[in-house]
Amino acid sequence: MTTLAPPAQAPLAAPVPREDGFRNAYATELQKLLAQLTTRLLALLVLLAPFAFTAILKVQSGTPSDALFGAWVHSSGFAVSLVILGFAGSWGFPIIAGVLAGDLFSSEDRYGTWKMILTRSCSREDVFAGKLLAVGTLVVALSMLLAAASLLAGLVIVGAHPLVDLSGQLTSTGRMLALTVVSWIYCLLPVLAYASLAVLFSVATRNGILGVLGPLLVALVTQLLDLIGKGVIVHTLLIGSGFDGWHGLFVAHPFFGPLLVSALVCLLWIAACLSASWRILRRRDFLAGAAHRSPNWTMPLRVVLATTAIIAVLAVCSGLGPAGVTGYRVAASIGPTFNNVTLLQQALIGRHAPPSAKLAVLPNCNRRGAADIGPGDWLCQLYVYLPQPKAVDFQQTNVEYDVSVQYNGCWKASSPPSFIGGQTMQNAAGKSVTNPLFVVYGCFNIF
Amino acid sequence: MAAVRSTGLFKRFDATVALDGVEVSVEPGEVRGLLGPNGAGKTTLLRILFGLVRPDAGTVELLGRPLEQLGTSALHGVGGFVEDPCFYPYLSGRANLRLLARLDGGTVTARQIDAALARVDLADRSEDRLSGYSTGMRQRLGVAAALLRSPRLLLLDEPTSGLDPAGTRAVATLVRELAEDGVAILLSSHQIGELERVCTTYTFLREGSVAWDGTAAELESQAPASAYALITSDDDRALELAAAHAGVRAQRSPRGGLSLAAQPRSLDALVLALGDARVVIRRLELLVSPLESMFFALNAGDSLDELEPDEFVDRVLMSA
Repeated sequence: MTTLAPPAQAPLAAPVPREDGFRNAYATELQKLLAQLTTRLLALLVLLAPFAFTAILKVQSGTPSDALFGAWVHSSGFAVSLVILGFAGSWGFPIIAGVLAGDLFSSEDRYGTWKMILTRSCSREDVFAGKLLAVGTLVVALSMLLAAASLLAGLVIVGAHPLVDLSGQLTSTGRMLALTVVSWIYCLLPVLAYASLAVLFSVATRNGILGVLGPLLVALVTQLLDLIGKGVIVHTLLIGSGFDGWHGLFVAHPFFGPLLVSALVCLLWIAACLSASWRILRRRDFLAGAAHRSPNWTMPLRVVLATTAIIAVLAVCSGLGPAGVTGYRVAASIGPTFNNVTLLQQALIGRHAPPSAKLAVLPNCNRRGAADIGPGDWLCQLYVYLPQPKAVDFQQTNVEYDVSVQYNGCWKASSPPSFIGGQTMQNAAGKSVTNPLFVVYGCFNIF
Repeated sequence: MAAVRSTGLFKRFDATVALDGVEVSVEPGEVRGLLGPNGAGKTTLLRILFGLVRPDAGTVELLGRPLEQLGTSALHGVGGFVEDPCFYPYLSGRANLRLLARLDGGTVTARQIDAALARVDLADRSEDRLSGYSTGMRQRLGVAAALLRSPRLLLLDEPTSGLDPAGTRAVATLVRELAEDGVAILLSSHQIGELERVCTTYTFLREGSVAWDGTAAELESQAPASAYALITSDDDRALELAAAHAGVRAQRSPRGGLSLAAQPRSLDALVLALGDARVVIRRLELLVSPLESMFFALNAGDSLDELEPDEFVDRVLMSA
């Protein structure tokens, strides 16, 4: 360091630079995020995991039938994409949000770089907004990459075949493609809400671990809360419920209430988390850097205690509001769906019913060991009156289904093979196909 | 127009008053040393000047622009760093500079970045990741990042921390050259020798307040005493002569020879007396400079006037 020379000097009254701080902050934040190993590994995972998942499914006879559309993963590539969307709503999206956004602000504390970036020509507002837009860009990009990879994996490995929807009707490839794409796009809202929550954790705790794990913890709590309580209020207010909004698109008479409500809830979460983050950052004094600061667990401890208290309150309040799952709604949903899948099964074996043909299905649904209200295990007796071709007009058949109903109004019904046959069956052409009666899925509006 | 003008800065952290009515001014071409013991408020002052910490009261003007009203816009033309410069470890040195330049508006060219890296002798290592940089290399990159802004005001906090002697001298040369070119520099350091090489004015902070403020010449005349090592042909005789001179205190040094505490004029008289007594001076070395003794003095008492001279001189001798 012996060749130092003074730089060329600007005039003393240097002009204030043009007001493009936000754009510059966005570009630098994007560059930083893209340069990080975690971002690259996450992108690789998001790209490859759907192909690996689909390939594993392809070589197995079993199906992830507990997931919505799971029983159809060998029949249609759309089912693969929708099953992945369901898993992503539980874990994948919170992981993407946490990894990308959870360390966005706390990393500046860890590296001690706040003092470097805030003493350049970008204001705190610019840096905050630039960071948010950069992480938003990547969250959307990786979510869409996951969507594209899952669709591609499903369509290439399984095939672009029609899929049975949540009313038991076979839906065309084009319509199913549109619905699947719309569902993935809709889920961007709750993902961004999770990312906003991760930002708040990152800003408030200045701790990357809590920032990254925060959304995962919330996702876990959401799933636990989904198992308890009959009221719709607490469930509706959780970010995770936003991932259920698309279910209503896949029924014969789509319902948009849950979709609109959850979209509004997600927007509220985004607004609340980001405004709280900005309030904290705007008033903050940037003191000693990481190298000079001893580890401070006071704030993380406070956050953990506050989170525990909030979980307890939510658990206690989970019964608030009207019940979304009732015996009437379960029966009203399973009856027509069973009718449709039965006709579909008959069609598969070559017995085509005339258009608008209907079975007489009288469902009687009761919750096992509890009052006929709320999510859980239900038992549905279906009294089916089958038309007979000869002397007797109708012959009654009873079918008993175990129905697992979730808080969001979606259900999965299954019955022993002695009633409705095995997982697969021979179609009219002698080909092995999925038996539509083996596992039946449906959803009803809980509002 | 002063490059820095702060008036009545007050900052409290919980129960601790970090700054209490601090007023600092740095003119173009001036190199002001900022001194004080740990916790005196030096870093807090620099953080306030950089807009990283907001004062509870008081105002700051940087290059004539009010910091509170303009925010980061007031930092245009201001370079430097507070505490150790920090960068992103997963990026190279060059990428870090490019990123910071982008935050400055993206008007800095690749050639300017190359020039800044060359100035701090990091051109060969510019593509290495920061995680492989030594403390001194990070410090040099911090200087390069400051130079990228073509600063008219430099705020530097321990700029030679971690540098080897050649690097330290190079930074001192750079600071002098920038000052000659009209750049105002506020330099905080614990390396008093480093400050003496470059500073023209000083501000001493103690417990959040300005304890002393003045030029280098004023400091030399007001400093309580300097300490010297003296080795002669007859140390016993030299000790007797020192005891007979007002303003000189002497004692035997455990390292051999004598330790003296004296004002420059008193020392001059002693040296003449030693010559008259045919005592040969084999070595006379400055151990504690006027700046250092001022530092000790200001840390010791409430003000220079309240110092107990003998007690202070003993302390200076002990430190020597």
